[in-house]
Amino acid sequence: MIQGEPARAPRRPGLRRGVRALAVPLVALCGWCLPVGTASAAAPRAPAVQPLVALLESHAARTGPGTHARRIETVGARRPLTNVRTVLPELGSAVDAHGSRWLHVRLPGRPSGHTGWILAERTRRSSTGWRIDVALSARRVTVYRDGHAIRRFRAVVGAPATPTPRGRFFVEEAVALSAADAGGPFALALSARSEVLQEFNGGPGQIAIHGTSGLWDPLGSAASHGCVRLGTRAITWLARRIGSGVPVTVTR
Amino acid sequence: MSNPIRLRRAVCVGIALTAGLAAGALPAAAGAAAVNLGTAGPFVVLGGAAVTNTGPSVLNGALGVSPGSSLSGFELPAVVNGARHASDGVAASAQSDLTTAYDVAAAEPAGDLTGTDLGLAGPLTPGAYSFSTSAQLTGTLVLDALGDPNAQFVFEIGTTLTTASNSAVLLVNGASPCNIFWQVGSSATIGTSTAFTGNVMALTSITMNTGATLQGRALARTGGVTLDTNVIDGSMCGTSTTPPPGTTPPPAASTEPEAGTNPQAPPGSRTTLPTRIGTATLRRTPLSPGAPGQPRRPGQPRERCTDGFTATVRGRQIERVVFRLDGKRIATRAGSPFKVVVRATPGRHTVSARVTFRDATAAKTMKTRYRACSAAALQPPPGPSRFTG
Repeated sequence: MIQGEPARAPRRPGLRRGVRALAVPLVALCGWCLPVGTASAAAPRAPAVQPLVALLESHAARTGPGTHARRIETVGARRPLTNVRTVLPELGSAVDAHGSRWLHVRLPGRPSGHTGWILAERTRRSSTGWRIDVALSARRVTVYRDGHAIRRFRAVVGAPATPTPRGRFFVEEAVALSAADAGGPFALALSARSEVLQEFNGGPGQIAIHGTSGLWDPLGSAASHGCVRLGTRAITWLARRIGSGVPVTVTR
Repeated sequence: MSNPIRLRRAVCVGIALTAGLAAGALPAAAGAAAVNLGTAGPFVVLGGAAVTNTGPSVLNGALGVSPGSSLSGFELPAVVNGARHASDGVAASAQSDLTTAYDVAAAEPAGDLTGTDLGLAGPLTPGAYSFSTSAQLTGTLVLDALGDPNAQFVFEIGTTLTTASNSAVLLVNGASPCNIFWQVGSSATIGTSTAFTGNVMALTSITMNTGATLQGRALARTGGVTLDTNVIDGSMCGTSTTPPPGTTPPPAASTEPEAGTNPQAPPGSRTTLPTRIGTATLRRTPLSPGAPGQPRRPGQPRERCTDGFTATVRGRQIERVVFRLDGKRIATRAGSPFKVVVRATPGRHTVSARVTFRDATAAKTMKTRYRACSAAALQPPPGPSRFTG
């Protein structure tokens, strides 16, 4: 026994069995009646406010905070679909031997959820209180603001053959789709890429949270090619609030 | 290509010349005895033979004449905020003390400025300066007290003192008009609309042309004083115990360089009247269409629903602007450009800009209200559908 720990009274086996018997249906029941604002146990912990960094010009991403570190890629200052400024979630910072400040950021593209270091020069820092969690098994999208869940939507997630990749990503850019495009009226293009489809419809197999315009699979099913589909009202509500850099976490 | 040694030598010579010129432009004035006007102190205008006025002049102090007895033209619309003494004992005593003060000033050891236009003399520091003949002021003369409110300036002028129209004497760093003495060997003529400062002690006469102002005193020993629509204020030196109604005599510290340069100052105003030419307007300009997440919906009227804007304050004499959004301070700008980017958040909001000015213009607060619906707060731009679906 740990010194100082108060001694516990021995529990009776019968009482323990009774508590278990009551707890199982209560947990099952709360799975349906979970009030909005209470994060589920499976949801990963994330900061209520996510620091963001906007790129004012293209940056070289490296494996570490210094010019000696290996160059991973070049991150453009603008996103390819809508030409909005690139905004990345900031995960940390460091100062190298020369006094230059480096920012640890999450990067778009493959491998999904990868990170790198960029120089803090020619960037603009901000933050967001928004966060999106996608629970694949529950086929549910939960929207958090300042750490509180404020909306929860049923969703279509990736089919078993083309699953939605799991991990920590972010919204690269929000796109207003035309009426002729399937999956409209809006799409939140994510930094994640399909692990199965290297190319799709002329794109790099990019994962998005988008609508269901022209798509008929029912909400709550696993039928997409990897994207997360929401009802029209849901994606419209999201698109009016979620900007570039908002973190998105996809869990099982 | 220039020789570096020669260049360095030239620079050294230039520095030496500059220092020499600076020292030469301001002749060293020896320590001076204090000039005391005695019983002439309460007089803002004192003549020997006569004092004549034309137009709505304002005198903040006593008016007197001795040994003459003529005080003419001081009925309305002229205003004399002080006692009048015509050939009485008070005026005679004042003349006697004026003579003493005149002689003390004339005896001050002084640096020679003969032939130098006072407007080109540069900022003068406390001391005595002499002109063997006449003295001329064209433009602006700056008197720098170096932070000493008791600093004394004495100008010993052999013959005449003349100022060009629209000239000015500006006091900085605590200089007081009460401690400036112009000892004029014959007559002084203050040009039209000149803003003059100090105690003019003329042996013969003093003439103030139309619209000239004097912060100090005009004291003539033997001749007359002639006024024409002037403001002569010696209240800061104790010439008047009853300040003129509706006016506030400015303190000596208010004699900053901006005073007297007020282009909107009415004729007859004093040199040190604080200027109030500050202006400010608040304008909104929409954010650039390329701003992330902030493009305005095509065809959407800006008045109905804004997606953010730049609030800009423009104007004159602006010292500082404090921007507030719904009462909460969001930015303070102490230099141009005075602007702030306001990101629209859904709902109705008020942006205010509190502007303070460098001059005496009263601070003002301007407000602009806007409404940003949630649709306008974020409106994704159109793009292709290239997702996995």
